[in-house]
Amino acid sequence: MAEKDKSKVLCARGIVKNFGGVRALKGVDFEVEHSEIHCLCGENGCGKSTLIKVISGVHEADEGTILLNGNSYTKLNVRQSINEGIQVIYQDLSLFSRMTVAENIAINKMVGLDKKIISWKEVRRIAQEQLDRIGVAMNLKSTIEELSISNRQLVAICRALSMDAKILFMDEPTTALTHTEVERLLAIVTNLKEKGMSIVFVSHKLDEVMKIADRVTIFRDGSNAGKLDGKELENKAEAEKKLVYYMTGKDIEYSRYQNHEVKSNKTVLKVKDLTRIPHYEEINLSLQEGEILGITGLLGSGRTEFALSLFGLNKPDSGSIVVEGKEFTPDNPRKAIANGIALVPEERQSQGVFMDRTIEDNIASVALNKISDRFGVVQNKDSAKLAEDTIALWNVKTSGKDALVSQLSGGNQQKVALGRWALVNPRILILDSPTVGVDIGSKSEIYEKIQLLAKKNIGIILISDDIPELLANSNRIAVFNSGKIIKVFDEEEVEKDGVRQEIEEIIAIKVPEKGENAS
Amino acid sequence: MKLKQLFKTTQIYVLIILIVYCVLVSVVSPQFATLENMFDIVRNISVSLIFAMGVMLVLISDGIDVSFAIVAVFSAYAAILVMKSTGINNLLFAFVMASAVGALLGLFNALIIHLFQIPTFIATLGTQTMFIGLLACTLGTTTIKTPQMPTCLVEFGATKIFTIVDESGKTFGLYIYIIPTALIVGFTAFLLYKTKFGRSLVAMGNSKEAARRAGYNLFKTRVILYMLVGIYAAIAGVMYVAQVAWIAPLINNLVGTIELTIIASVVIGGTQLTGGYGTIVGTILGVILMRIFSSTLIFLGLSSSWSDFFLGAVMVICIIITSISRNRTRKKLLIFD
Repeated sequence: MAEKDKSKVLCARGIVKNFGGVRALKGVDFEVEHSEIHCLCGENGCGKSTLIKVISGVHEADEGTILLNGNSYTKLNVRQSINEGIQVIYQDLSLFSRMTVAENIAINKMVGLDKKIISWKEVRRIAQEQLDRIGVAMNLKSTIEELSISNRQLVAICRALSMDAKILFMDEPTTALTHTEVERLLAIVTNLKEKGMSIVFVSHKLDEVMKIADRVTIFRDGSNAGKLDGKELENKAEAEKKLVYYMTGKDIEYSRYQNHEVKSNKTVLKVKDLTRIPHYEEINLSLQEGEILGITGLLGSGRTEFALSLFGLNKPDSGSIVVEGKEFTPDNPRKAIANGIALVPEERQSQGVFMDRTIEDNIASVALNKISDRFGVVQNKDSAKLAEDTIALWNVKTSGKDALVSQLSGGNQQKVALGRWALVNPRILILDSPTVGVDIGSKSEIYEKIQLLAKKNIGIILISDDIPELLANSNRIAVFNSGKIIKVFDEEEVEKDGVRQEIEEIIAIKVPEKGENAS
Repeated sequence: MKLKQLFKTTQIYVLIILIVYCVLVSVVSPQFATLENMFDIVRNISVSLIFAMGVMLVLISDGIDVSFAIVAVFSAYAAILVMKSTGINNLLFAFVMASAVGALLGLFNALIIHLFQIPTFIATLGTQTMFIGLLACTLGTTTIKTPQMPTCLVEFGATKIFTIVDESGKTFGLYIYIIPTALIVGFTAFLLYKTKFGRSLVAMGNSKEAARRAGYNLFKTRVILYMLVGIYAAIAGVMYVAQVAWIAPLINNLVGTIELTIIASVVIGGTQLTGGYGTIVGTILGVILMRIFSSTLIFLGLSSSWSDFFLGAVMVICIIITSISRNRTRKKLLIFD
């Protein structure tokens, strides 16, 4: 083995992994140095998770060698991987929700020690030790159910630490965290690095990658697509561009949405002084036909809570909502739909689509009156045709209408979700983070469709964290912070240079937080 | 804070209902709060409580077993037939023999459930019917009346630890049943709270995938669990037969009637139907409540048919209370799935 490989705690060379006829990994190299934060990027299906599974011993590589702390392996099993200090925190965290913090942290260690009788004193000692290591105080007796998502994340980290992790893989750890929580997590991760641990951070969020990565490895289609190291990461804008290029294999520019041709100045939605304590207060907004209104702000800034209110899922305390000139009280989603309001939620897999049903069932579910006869009996022929039309219209990549939605990629799932709501002919379509977990490649396709819907005179509210996404699609952008709209950027302002920076600054203004739950 | 935590659990509500009800009954009827009646209740609860321990363990592991009653009858009947044909009249033999049969039937459940990944409710519903058929075809269903019963069993069913003579000259006493029951409850508590096996049940009930990733062998856990539940059912079966002193396999009030009552009382005790949580104390309270309802309504001048209504009502109330408190927190966090 070459001399320079010795400072590396992990060095995987030429890893090939086939699943049946599919080549998931086509001979990739991946290395991690001692005490670094290494980001692993790539679109869905690029082989990131397969590589993690090979390194953690869940899958056996067909070819290639893995060098861990100087020991070379061609076949690596889970036990060996753990003994070499590899720990993986999966996106679902693998926690036990009705068990205590203490037990969740210590459980892997206890199973590893194979003690038949449990000593609760030891469980608590192990748990406390790990919490001390990351400098967090937590009630050991709380159950996971009672914790915020970010504290659950910390429990998962503590569990990995209890196993003497040398290399910690974190799969999309920040997806469900608020801004302050992300900051805390990144601080903890950086601190662990300084103590000599190596962290492999898998993330879709380019700004986070830019912020913490010492190095970045990018995969595409099961191969190494590129690498970025310290120097290249200094120029953020340039690095971000390269990153997108490596991930997709092309330079992507989104075309800006213009609504001049459909401009009618007809107001479809007018919100006046809408208030729901403690989520948001005194929200004033209007939406025209054919307009895309961008809304952004941190998680917890009130943007999603406001959208839920419009859809009847979070009843406001006061204020008024006028839809096409008619006063509307949003008691429940049924009423909202009847008034022409549709919502495509952020939690696509649990709320946006029926994952275990076919595309046809998903589409039919919102259009039952279109496909049933006057006795209310569903006509299979009509249902099939509607599904096929929608698949064609939205360009859903699938084997057919009978494919399960869970078999589709994130981007195609989202197309189904959007396609079915478009069938309801809404007057107002609220899209909450429509491209989260969607490949950069499918993003532009989804943007095209959103713009197409707007051109059909639907008023669209687009909620997103992704500022470039908002700039490419929105006519106006409202920025939420701490439950209030701080500023609405009008059409002229949106097109100005430097507007992205301005928006980001408003998002990040620190407004003293009230009653932030610490435990 | 501690008190607030306490009121989040179902057990406290069951305890309150239990106390209120007992006070009510003893006011209306002085016979209720007598030592004699208490001793009687203890014996009546014993068999149910042993069944409930098994049911609780299965529920915690995110399963439902509806075959335990037939396993109990099958095992006890098999043991008695063997004892009669061999002439062995030994109590320990009865328990060991029945337990062996119970464990075997439990193993069959475990294999079906694990190897074919069948939902436990469907699997045990199927095996329940199979076991009923198997019993009828192989062992038969001839009634064994008290005079033909092995004497050791009949004696065991009537043994008292001590007896008391009251002013009116009536003698009554505490039945020996409290001893095996206490042993089994204590053993179950030890298993659940202090052993790797017990924790693997809880972990599995929370999330099978996470339990597998943590390194638990779920096959082993399931085999031990269902064999153990089979043994519990067998012991309870022998005790039941000894108590009533006769057995007619498919006529005794067990198969097809007590399954849901026992499951209901375990759920009333706070064990989650969706797995991952359950306590010994809660289960004991649930079983006591159920037994007291079904045996004391008569003191209130109501027919015993009302017990079903009350038991059902308590179950619904307990589920509503926990559900309201959970939905409230979820609504606060805007969680909709």
